[in-house]
Amino acid sequence: MIAGVPIPNFIEFVVLAVASIASGLGVILFKSAIHSALSLILALLFVALFYLLLGAMFIAVVQVLIYAGAIMVLFLFVVTMLASENTGDVIEPDRKPWQRGIAATLGFILIGALSYLLFTGTAINSAAITTAASGNGLAQHVADPKLGNTQAFGLALFHGFSFPFEITSLLIIVALLGAMVLGRRSLSRDERH
Amino acid sequence: MHHAIPISWYLIVSAILFTLGTIGVLVRRNPLTIFMSIELMLNAVNLSFITFSSYLNSVDGQMFVFIVLTVAAAEVVVGLAIIVSIFRTRRNINVDEMNVLRG
Repeated sequence: MIAGVPIPNFIEFVVLAVASIASGLGVILFKSAIHSALSLILALLFVALFYLLLGAMFIAVVQVLIYAGAIMVLFLFVVTMLASENTGDVIEPDRKPWQRGIAATLGFILIGALSYLLFTGTAINSAAITTAASGNGLAQHVADPKLGNTQAFGLALFHGFSFPFEITSLLIIVALLGAMVLGRRSLSRDERH
Repeated sequence: MHHAIPISWYLIVSAILFTLGTIGVLVRRNPLTIFMSIELMLNAVNLSFITFSSYLNSVDGQMFVFIVLTVAAAEVVVGLAIIVSIFRTRRNINVDEMNVLRG
């Protein structure tokens, strides 16, 4: 037992945490965009493993399919397209060196404030969480342990969240049209007439 | 579902990932890498959504993550289209030189 946590759970959590943070560091430290993209894919897969650890199977599968699959393939297409037309790679010179120090300071302030709030704030104490979970107000769509995770998810999606689901389809249509308009090659003047 | 690990550990990992994304947005000059850092921040927030959903024994947090995933996909599609169209007109994609909205 380490800090009240059994050894196997401790090991699996620490391995996942170190791996996801290391690949997150790789995203911002690698010089070329393609290495950053590959590191981001790794980070997304580790976050998907976190979802599995937390019992969200459907979201973990969607994370691998949509994020690590579809979105990152789009990223890699654009990175390779721009890198081949550019001068070999998309490395930009660091023009303002003080930006790096200021960003590091702001990052340390952010992580310090977040950790301070997490460890001293009233939001995260386990007594409040258990009362909220057992109380009537907050947990509207309680995951029934007899149902599977995907079944509970589908029931909640099409009963309580059907309106946001429909709005999402509108959003996708608008994004599709926007991408088509932006990606269209603009016609020259004699082609237009 | 029985939880062996305190909830604050997951939230600390989420906070660290979010901070890494913020530093990436502040430091990097390539808009593609800035986009990837934004994706990292979205994932950190999703991780805390799933954590709370699991510890509160409710599926509402997973629903939010589902919607955030869709919005992220739409955002990436439009953002990459903007970057490609900027590259077509300017022949370079340094964010320090993108200071006009005019094409």
